[in-house]
Formats: sequence, structure tokens, C-alpha cells
Amino acid sequence: MTHRNNQDLALKNIHPPCQSACPLHQGVRDYLLAIATGNFDMALAIIKETNPLPFVCGTICAHHCEEECRRNDVDKPPSIRGLKRFAVEHGKAKVPPPVDGPKVRGKVAIIGAGPAGLTAAFDLARLGAEVTVYDREKMAGGAVRHYIPLYRLPDEAVDQDISEIAEQGITFKYGIELGKDITIEQLEKEGCQAVLLAMGLPVSRGLNIPGVEGDGILYALPFLQDVKRSGFKFTGNPNVIVIGGGNVAMDVARSSLRAGAAKVKLSCLECDEEMPAFRWEIEEAKEEGIEFNNSWGPHAIIRENGKITGLEVVECTCVFDDQGRFNPKMKDDHKEMISGDIVIFAIGQGGDPEPVRGEIEIDDRGNVVFNSQKMTTSRAGVFSCGEMVTGPGSAVQAMANGRLAAQAAAGYLQGVPFDCASLEEVAVLDKLDAKVVEEVVHIERNAIPMISPEERVRHFKQAELGYDIETAICEARRCLTCAAGAQQDEDLCVHCLTCVRVCPYNVPVITEEGKVSIRNEQCQACGLCLSMCPVYAIKFRAPYVEEAVNAIGPAVQKLVDKRNGKPAILAITCSYGAFALPDFVRKEQNNVAVVRYPCVGKLDSVHLLKAIELGIDGVVVVGCRDSERGNCQYKDISYWAEKRVGHACDMLETLGMNRESITYTELDGDEIDKFDQVIAEAAEKLK
Amino acid sequence: MIIAERKPLEEIAAMAAPYKRVCVLGCNTCVAVCMAGGQKEAEETATLLRIHRKKENVDGEVEVFSIERQCEFEMIDEVLEKLKSYDVIVSLACGVGVQTIVEHVPSLRVLPGLNTTSMGYPTEQGVWKERCLGCGDCVLDLTMGICPITRCAKSILNGPCGGSAEGKCELGKDVDCAWHLIHERLSAFGRLSDLEEIQPPKDWSKSHHGGGARTSVREDVRIDRG
Amino acid sequence: MIAGSKLEKTINSGQFVVTGELGPPKGADLTQLKHHAEGMRNHVEAYNITDNQTAIVRTSSIACGATLVQMGLEPIIQIVVRDRNRICIQSDVLGAHALGVKNILCLAGDHQKFGNEPGSKGVFDIDSMQLLKGLKDLRDEKKFMGGEELNGELSYFLGAVENPFADPFEYRVDRLEKKIKAGASFIQTQCIFDLDRFERWMEMVCERGLHKKVAILGGVTPIKSLGAARYMKNNVSGITIPDELIERMTGAEKKKEEGLKIAIETIQRLKEIEGVAGVHIMAIAWEEVIPEIVERAGLYPRPKV
Repeated sequence: MTHRNNQDLALKNIHPPCQSACPLHQGVRDYLLAIATGNFDMALAIIKETNPLPFVCGTICAHHCEEECRRNDVDKPPSIRGLKRFAVEHGKAKVPPPVDGPKVRGKVAIIGAGPAGLTAAFDLARLGAEVTVYDREKMAGGAVRHYIPLYRLPDEAVDQDISEIAEQGITFKYGIELGKDITIEQLEKEGCQAVLLAMGLPVSRGLNIPGVEGDGILYALPFLQDVKRSGFKFTGNPNVIVIGGGNVAMDVARSSLRAGAAKVKLSCLECDEEMPAFRWEIEEAKEEGIEFNNSWGPHAIIRENGKITGLEVVECTCVFDDQGRFNPKMKDDHKEMISGDIVIFAIGQGGDPEPVRGEIEIDDRGNVVFNSQKMTTSRAGVFSCGEMVTGPGSAVQAMANGRLAAQAAAGYLQGVPFDCASLEEVAVLDKLDAKVVEEVVHIERNAIPMISPEERVRHFKQAELGYDIETAICEARRCLTCAAGAQQDEDLCVHCLTCVRVCPYNVPVITEEGKVSIRNEQCQACGLCLSMCPVYAIKFRAPYVEEAVNAIGPAVQKLVDKRNGKPAILAITCSYGAFALPDFVRKEQNNVAVVRYPCVGKLDSVHLLKAIELGIDGVVVVGCRDSERGNCQYKDISYWAEKRVGHACDMLETLGMNRESITYTELDGDEIDKFDQVIAEAAEKLK
Repeated sequence: MIIAERKPLEEIAAMAAPYKRVCVLGCNTCVAVCMAGGQKEAEETATLLRIHRKKENVDGEVEVFSIERQCEFEMIDEVLEKLKSYDVIVSLACGVGVQTIVEHVPSLRVLPGLNTTSMGYPTEQGVWKERCLGCGDCVLDLTMGICPITRCAKSILNGPCGGSAEGKCELGKDVDCAWHLIHERLSAFGRLSDLEEIQPPKDWSKSHHGGGARTSVREDVRIDRG
Repeated sequence: MIAGSKLEKTINSGQFVVTGELGPPKGADLTQLKHHAEGMRNHVEAYNITDNQTAIVRTSSIACGATLVQMGLEPIIQIVVRDRNRICIQSDVLGAHALGVKNILCLAGDHQKFGNEPGSKGVFDIDSMQLLKGLKDLRDEKKFMGGEELNGELSYFLGAVENPFADPFEYRVDRLEKKIKAGASFIQTQCIFDLDRFERWMEMVCERGLHKKVAILGGVTPIKSLGAARYMKNNVSGITIPDELIERMTGAEKKKEEGLKIAIETIQRLKEIEGVAGVHIMAIAWEEVIPEIVERAGLYPRPKV
């Protein structure tokens, strides 16, 4: 179990693009690095620092992070969501203890146990508030619990998260509906000082077109809930027509297949490229055999003897107007008929103002009057958040919004006014320079294994299988480690240009004033420059290199102290690829101290000599060699690592010592078992 | 830029052996750039000295730090108390730095950790070549920017001599004939006729041969209140 | 007439000139040197006395030159700029003159790195061009290099060396001209093995009429063995030996005789080349063979001047 205390790793003042893009600003880079180096517990601990629903997000997150990843300019981003799922499944870490700070006192009621409400509850409880969450359903989770189909999100994932949220000291009250079973006023009377409304968008929209009255018409949310919670199956094997092109429409279509539809036909206004659903949802739906009818608008539901026979559609030539507003143009004389027995509307969801009517202000369009800067409603002490005020979005966006509302409520309880505008803005990294992009090694993205389409449509079991350990390590290694790398101490720098010449990625540049500028935001974190700087003016922003360096001394000391007559050897190995596999990480060692280095390219010959000074008999540096089981994403590593070891050997020789006390070797992923042999050979040379 | 190389470790170790408290003092300017005496090299030198002293059972300690330039009194003053706490200072500055410390603080014992070689530039990463002898009377205008004083082994002014072959010096195939290069450049610029003139003997009086260490003075920036 | 030396007279007479070369010993016993000098008394006009050649310490060229003067022979003393500054050189020249030396050959000298005192400081205060000019001015203008007046008069015949086989080839004629301008009355060239290249050079020399301003003595070295040929080809800078010549030596049964033949043929061919005023025979460590070469090349007896 890992309790992660080192909060410095999540760099405060600049975010990699993934972290900026994530509504929760999760430390993506850092948990990918942890996975890549085999520290799965650490990965989960990092995730849990910012995310109260890691299982849910690891399973269904819309991963806005991947869209902004700078690897998009090189090849494809790492599968961050898949790696998050890997971390929650393979790591062990508790939610970190709350950060010290002023505590909040008071009772808070949160209406709605969806992602927004749960996040707000989690945050407020950790700040010290007495939190009760009310939900009209019998289980927490909101949309992710009731609407997202089981083949995407199994209940166990949601359960895991809810139970850990509950551990923060939150009371859940189920089956209680606002406006019916309780009112805001009642809550206030019971002593609640703040109320958070997070009721989501529970109403499915339909269309008032001919034929809509009568049997065979279904609406997305009730349908999804029936399928998921009540195991609804179609009677017979009807042909199902789904109207809509968003993510919910995909869920409806794919659930329909699994619920016994013979054929599912989807009809939407948008052409293929314009469909609002995520691309991977569209692809998976297509794989499963859903028929897509793009650029058609529903015109009438055709019935014979009251029974639906099909949907008449009219061609849609354009969905959005010049200003980008939804304003479809139809070509009325071009009609088609899509045959089918059932029509399901999946064209959007709306809020339901009825539970709060009369207690807080509602505008003419039926929305709660809301100040999105202050997260407030018209009633003092009543806040709102999530899709009911933001409109439809992803779960993680709702969570982030819930976090804001929690901050607003906490401020209210502490008497400190809250305004989103006053939140600290974190700098967003620039794009990668084209010259840097050119040099970055391409590594193919590892697809997350899935059950075959033929198999998966037969049941509601989770379709995605998740990464195995080896693949996860390789996939995590594809992270470009943005903003973690070289940072120049301008006071120390002597502008010798060594870094300029050594960097394989054109990261350091010479300014017009003739000064060296290491563009940290462009750095690929290979660290070759680190030990070549003659004045140690380059440091990594993230502390992982320093941690590895600092590990050498104690490791050597410990081994030397208990030396048993045999040569004591320090092995400095790569920490990626096969060196990150649990078998290697947990390997029992005799007379060997292993320090895993986040790439031996970061090695300094002085560190090798210092180990000798501390009394170690021999040092073996083990770099990684590319193989089918994983490639190094860096360049020139062997060349420089070998030179640095060679230099240390030369130095030993000038002192009249055995130059073979320090050796360099490389192992590829398949050769990791030869590690013992490498050590034995090194020991032999010391005799 | 001043180019230097670290002295062989055994030489440094032998020099420092009689002293208990040793300070390896790096210099973070010229010799840092040519990777001979900056903080990193100082760390390495100190580490090697410690390993050596442990091996040879020499008592005492070896510590290390660096200053920006050892050739400035004021910068030495900033660390003077610290320097005084050592029995000896192994200076990783060029010969100038060593002498500056000694001149400024005669009580300190300072050993040279480097051999100062030349003034030059890195022709490639890790390779530094001499390009100026400091002769005090630059002739680069006559020789198209190629210094025959430095780059010709004989420093001749009316070259190339008879040893020039295939653009190389008689000293060896790895040494360019400076006069060959000058000839090429003059030819390229249509100035070969420049060579018709017999260059008179050089006035070496402006060089070190003119009377030992030279002094340069700028009266207008000098602080001399009498 | 400048110095009235036998060398100068022979050159002026228009007859084909022969000079030889003697290397002072790495010791003070001059018996061998005298013996070699005596051996070619009637075969050469004058003897080059090398100045610590290849930077190896030997008896001074001036001392050896003076010894030859005592024997009634005529030295051409070599002066290199490697070991002496302008003070010493001018002083030595005065001394040599006082001892009866009438011919001076000005050179830069092989770099000290090659010799037996590789750690010595190369003086190179002035270069060979400046040396020529300085000695010419000392003689003709009666002024030391520093500008002061010379007391009395000096008369010496100044020569220089040129290497037609050095690069850049096209510049070698320019440099010859420059040396003439600086004061050279005669030129001894580097050993000639590549006659074609030498001919090309001479053509350029004659085109510019330089052969009329200076006497060009072609350098000839008899090759004693195949090893010597190979050594010179690979290790002596400024010498070019064509592959055919190496092959010829390789194929020859009697290497020494073949070497002599080559030298003799070279001289015979040089005699035919326009502008060549004579030959300078450098028989390194094989001085005793010079008379034979001179005779077999048809240059004996030497003219009386």
C-alpha cells in the first residue's frame, strides 16, 4: 500500500497538456511514469490525489487528456484511460490523507449522487464538513450507475469508488426525491448550512413528429436504465431504429443489440465526421454491426394498424449554420424510409426543474438560475453543479464542476467569498516545436484488448479487457514526460553550448543575445545533458532523477555494511521496460544493491566514482536494448552511457585501480533473466 | 577562451598528499566551458582524490566548491574565510586563477590542478583547438583571418614553407598547413598578389618576448585617485 | 660580381654547376668530413654544409665551413632560422664572413620536433624570406635588420631553397620569385625524383624569365637502397617519389648501382631542361659516391674559372 506524501511531484506551476486538459487536472504524466517504472501503487496513489472516482474514470472516462497530448503531433497519444484502468486494477493505494489547511465546519446536503455530487461530497467531507448525499435512486452513481451500459462499466467499478468515497465519512440517503420527500427549506431547518444541487439531466427528449403517439416508442434514459438495472429484453427480435448521433445514442444502439434486437439502425442528422459521439464509440458500434444512416432527419413514424413499420426520414444537407449554431437545413423533397419495429429517441437530455420549483428561481426556459462564476443559485447557501447547470458533457467534466461547487460551498461556510475567476491559473504548455517533433521516436500505440465484436454483442460483460502488465509498462513509456525534464539554472549556466550540441531533440537553443536557453517545455526528459553540464546548471523539474541519484548512497552503504566476504556490487539498471516488471523489481538480491535509474542516459560518471568511494567493490551499469518487447523512446543513450562508464574506468585506472570495477552492459526485454549472469561475470572480474 | 586540461590525477594526488585539509576549488568560467575545471570536474577531482587518499591511507579530508572566476580579487574575497580554513587549495582554474589567489592572499597555499594549454575554441563537441598565441600584434588582416603565428608551427609570415604538402604541415597529416589555408583564401578573394610583398620580421616586442608578462591599461576606466 | 666565389663565377660563366652536400658530424671530430671533402675536391664547385639538419645537434655549419676554407675548398654554409634569432644570425654571418665563407644558403629548417632535442623552443624569430632579405640588406644597404649601420663591407653570395614538390604547386613559382626579390642569387631545389613535375615547374619559371634572374640548381639524391627510397617516400616531408621509381628499385638486382644510374639519368635529363643552371648532389651518408656520379654524368672534369 502506498501513501504518497511527496506532493512535489505534481508540479504546481506548470501542467503538461494532458494535465491541463483533464478537468480534474490529474497528474497524468506522473502516474504514467510510475507505471512505466513498475510502481503501480504509486500510480494509483497519484490518481487518487485528484480523482475520487478512479475506477469509473479508468473504465469510461472521455479522456480529454489524450486529445491534448503532444504525442498527437508525433504519432498517437498513449492510452491514458487504459493505463488508468491498469493502475486501479494493479495498484494498491489509499486515498491520501487530506491536505492540511483550514477546516470547514457545518452540515451540507448534496442532492444527487452522480459524478458531480459525489466529487463535491468527497471534497467537502475531506475538508471537514458533515455531508449527507440524497438520491432518488437506490444506489449511488447517477448516470454512470444507471445509464452507462454494463458492457462499458461494470457495477463493481462503481462500487469500488463509492465505498472509498463513503469512507470519507459521508452519509448516503437513497430513495429520497427532492420536492417530493424533502424540500430545501426542510433541509435548512434540519440544520444544513449549505445545499448542493447536482441532479443531472434526467429527462430524455423526444420529437413531436407524426406517428409518435402509440406503442413502440422508447426514450434513451428510461431504456438504458431498464436494460441495465432491470435486465430488460425485447420480446421477439425487433428491428430497432435509434434516432440520434451522440454518445447516448451509441449506448442505446449497442444496448439494443444486446437486449435482443435483430437489427439496429441508427439515424442522425449529422454526417459521419460531424457526429457528436466519440469516434471510438462510433467505431465499436460499427464493428458490432449497427447500421448508420447519416444526414437524415426524422420526419414521421410510419405505422400500419398502429404498429410501427418504419421511420420516414428527410435528407439533412447541413446541420449547423454559419455561426456554428444548430440549425439543420432539410431537403424536403428527398425522403427515405428506414424500416423497423421500434423507435428509440436518443436526441438529448434535459434538466427537470420541478423538484426545486418555488424554492429557487427558475428561468423561462426551465433552467435553474445559476451564477457559473460563484456556483450559486438564487437562494443563499444553495449551490449547484454538474450537467444540470453545464448541460451535457463527460463524467469527468461533471466531477470537476462538482469540485468547484464544493469549493464555493466551503468558502460560504468559512465566510470566504468564492469566485472561479480568482482560482490560480496554471500555465499551459506550448505545442512541441516542429524541429523537436521531427526527432521524437515513433512508438506505436498499444490498442487495449477487447472481446471480439461477435462475442461481445451476445452479453453485457465488459467488452474491454484491459492491458496486461508488460503492455501497460510499454504503453506508459510512450509518455513524452512533458515539463518534467531539463530546467536551466540561469545563474549557474556558463553558456558552454554542450547541452545544445548533445541534445538529440534540438531543445536547447541559442538566443539572439547569445545565451543558451533550455526550453523546458520542449524537453523530452532524456536527461543526456544533465551530467554533461560542467557546472551542474541543469536539473530536472520533476524529482525522479534526483531520487534515483540519492538512492545510490544509502543502497551502497547498506550493502557494504553487511558485506559477507563476497564482492559487493552496485547494479544501476534502467527502470523501464523489462526492468519495470514486478519479477525484476521484487527480485531478491544477494550481495547486490540494485538502483533502478530512469534511463542510464542520465548517469553521471561522478556518481559511479562516488559509489566506489563509499566502498562498493564493483558497479555494473545495465542499460536497456531495444527489442520487440519494448523500445527505448530516447536516442543516443547507449553511446553516452558507455562513454560515461568508460570515463569512470579511465579515472580508476589513473589511480592504479582495476578498471573493470565498473562495467557497462545492456539487456533487452527477453534477456532480463540474464541479470544474475551479468552480476556473476562482474563479480568474476573483481577477483 | 582559455583552454586547459586536468593534470594527471597521480600528479595532483602527490602534490596534495602532504596536506590534511584539502579544498578542490572549481572555476566556473573559461575552464568550465572547456570541461577542465568547472563544478563538475571539481566534484570528480575531489572524489578521485578521496578514493586515492583512502587507498594510500592518507589522512584528512577533501572538500569541494567552485566560484565564478578565480581571477578576480573580489570573488576570492567572498569565499576567503572558507579558503583559509584549508591547508591547501587545489585550484582547477587556469594558471591565471592560481596566481591571482596567491597574489591576493599570500598566506594561502594553492596548487595547480590544471595544465593551461592555450586560447582556442571547440572545433567540435569535446575538441578544443588553439587559435591565438596572444602575440600582441594581430596580423589576421593580412592573412585572411587565419593566424600563421598560432597555426603555423614555425610562425612564419612568408609561407608556406617547403614542408607544405597536400595542404598539410610537415609535422604531420593531421595538422593543416596554415599558409596553405591562407593561400586558398587569398586565392578565393582574388588577393594572391598580397603575397608578393615580403612581410618584414614580426615585432615580437608586443608579445611575451617583449619583456615578460604584459600589462594592458585603460586609463579612462581606471580608478586612480592618487 | 658579388662575392667572387667559385660558385658565383661558375654560374656567371654559364657552365653547368655542380655542388655537393656535407653533413657535419654529431661530434667534434671532423676527420670524416674532411676526408669526404677532399674526395670530391675536383668534382664540385662548392660544398653545402648543413645547419643541424633534421634538427639534430651537430658541429656548427660555420665551424665546418671554416675548416673547408682552410683546406682551400669553398663552403656554402646553411643558416636556418629555427635556432637563432636575428641577433645571433647576423652575428654568425659576420663571423662566417670573417672566416672566409662566401656562400650562404638561407632556410627555415626542419621543425625541432623531428630532431634529438624535441623539447627545445623553436626560435623562428624571422622566416627564411626575412633572412634572405635581411642578409641582402646587410650586404647591399649595409644596414642591420634593426636599421643600424654596418661597419665596413660584406660580400657573400646568397642562395635559397625551393621545393617544387610542395603545395600549393602554382604558388611555388610565386614564392621563388619572392625569394629572388628578397635576395637569392641561386636556388637549390628539393631532391628531384618526379622529373615531370619539376619540368612543369621549370616551364613556369622560364615563362616568367626567373631563370635569368637566379641560378637554379636541381637537387639530386642517389638512392642507396630500396629501404631508403621507401623511407623518403613515406617519411620525409616535401619529397615526392613516383611509384615507378620504387618499382624500378624493387626490380633491380644491384640496388646501389641502380640508385646511381637513376641519379645519373636525372642529372642528364636536368642538363636538357631549359633554365637549369646546375645540380646540387645530396648523397646523404653516401658522400664518397659523388665523384663517380659527377664523372659518369659527363660533368668531369670541372671547368676552371
